[in-house]
Amino acid sequence: MQRLLEISNLEAGYGLIKVLWGVNLAVKQNECVVLLGVNGAGKTTLLKTVVGLLKAWKGKVTFNSNDITHLRSDIRIANGIAYMSELAIFPNLTVEENLKLGGYFKSDKENKKRMEKLYQYFPDLKEYKHKMGGSLSGGQRKMLGVAKTLMSNPKLVIMDEPSSGLSPKFVKRAIEVLDMFHKEEKVAMLIAEQNVSFLDFAEKTYILDGGKITFEGSVSELKSNNIIRETYFGITH
Amino acid sequence: MFEYTVLAGIMYGLYFGLVGIGLNLIFGVMRMINLAHGDFIMLGAFLAYWLFHLFGINPLIAIAISCVVFLFLGIAFYYIFVPRLLQSKDPEMLSFILFFGLSQVIEAIIILSFGNNQRSVPSSTFGHSTFSILGNRFPISWLIVTIVAILVFIAVYWYFYHTKLGYATRAIMASRDESLVSGINVNRVSAFAFSIGLILASIAGIFSFFMIGAAYPSMGTNLTVISFAIIVLGALGNPMGTIIGGLIYGLAIMFMQTYLSSWSNLLPYLLLIAIMLFKPEGLIGKTVRSA
Repeated sequence: MQRLLEISNLEAGYGLIKVLWGVNLAVKQNECVVLLGVNGAGKTTLLKTVVGLLKAWKGKVTFNSNDITHLRSDIRIANGIAYMSELAIFPNLTVEENLKLGGYFKSDKENKKRMEKLYQYFPDLKEYKHKMGGSLSGGQRKMLGVAKTLMSNPKLVIMDEPSSGLSPKFVKRAIEVLDMFHKEEKVAMLIAEQNVSFLDFAEKTYILDGGKITFEGSVSELKSNNIIRETYFGITH
Repeated sequence: MFEYTVLAGIMYGLYFGLVGIGLNLIFGVMRMINLAHGDFIMLGAFLAYWLFHLFGINPLIAIAISCVVFLFLGIAFYYIFVPRLLQSKDPEMLSFILFFGLSQVIEAIIILSFGNNQRSVPSSTFGHSTFSILGNRFPISWLIVTIVAILVFIAVYWYFYHTKLGYATRAIMASRDESLVSGINVNRVSAFAFSIGLILASIAGIFSFFMIGAAYPSMGTNLTVISFAIIVLGALGNPMGTIIGGLIYGLAIMFMQTYLSSWSNLLPYLLLIAIMLFKPEGLIGKTVRSA
């Protein structure tokens, strides 16, 4: 399968502090990759560099065989990447307006059709479509973030800790919906998480630690690694 | 007298809402205080003055011309200054210095070009008639300014809440980064919003002759302070909140001029101090749920 996103020897950071130390990572077409890492491992920095919110100090990011390392964020998004940050939504816009911005490049007709499809999977959002995003609960906000990210029919969805602040019920629902879109629309996904529940639908995993990739392999390989079992699954034998 | 003061205060308030709304829009989008805001109001006034005296163009038609002029001026100013500012370590602080400098330069250019005289467009431009509300008579120019201000507010509201560009503008007000990763060309939308801010300032300038008197090159500083008081009163960063701030300022200034006229120049400063002490987020400012 062709590589959709390829990150080669990427270095980035804030001010004088280097956070990423030569990261290599790839996501193939229609593949779901979960990037595990504890707090401060550099997950958010990596994702922000991929979508252009942070400048790459060194290395290369290619998407669909095109070098996007120095492209503006909005152009990267227009090329088919969708990004869900931890903030995920615009609190001062209504649910419907948030969704419309998720499909910023699409026509009103396309957006309307897409919105109706997403409302089927997120019925709460249809009910609250005229409510301000900031007035929703944490779980509803994340669901809106997921829906907003899927609005543009992206080739690749990048998510930064979609489960943070969510109850197990919401995490389960988020995983079900993402898994469904991943299979039905063949959307590739790169999900940075601490929550191992997301491994359930991952095809490949990476572990980022101290700004370096310390593990790359399948979910079964990850689960059979004793050190990882202890660190992420709490299994000590 | 009381009834007259309230009615005049509402009309003045709507005008002052117009004076401040552009500053609030620019602050909301760019998180920068345009200290040259009053100078753009002055430029609008001078544009209307020259259009009227050289070509006999009515101030209402001058609105259309100012829209075109200030649209291009805004885009040029934005791309010359703002992207460089945003790359700096402390854009907010640097913006104070930059816009203060810009204010001084604009004032100096106008003085050098046209002198320091006061200039005016006669209120008889709109005729000599008056209109009456509840038995109180007001100049017709006040009614026209009030109607224009209301139409401008409706247009701004329509832009924010019924256009894609307006959604994008509000998105940038919430988070520049989140907007970038939603695919919004933040610079382009911000440049447009900056231009709208200048257009709104210029419209306030066009009508300044009928509400606050003659135009002169150094009028900008005082107008920037008044605008700042108005937007802080309403809600900093919420352009529609400026209408509330303007109404309160208009009513307060009318009551001060009626009952305590010698103290009225202090009003913007007193309001600023009061709002900072008792409701720093502004009268309609509110926080969103955090969980």
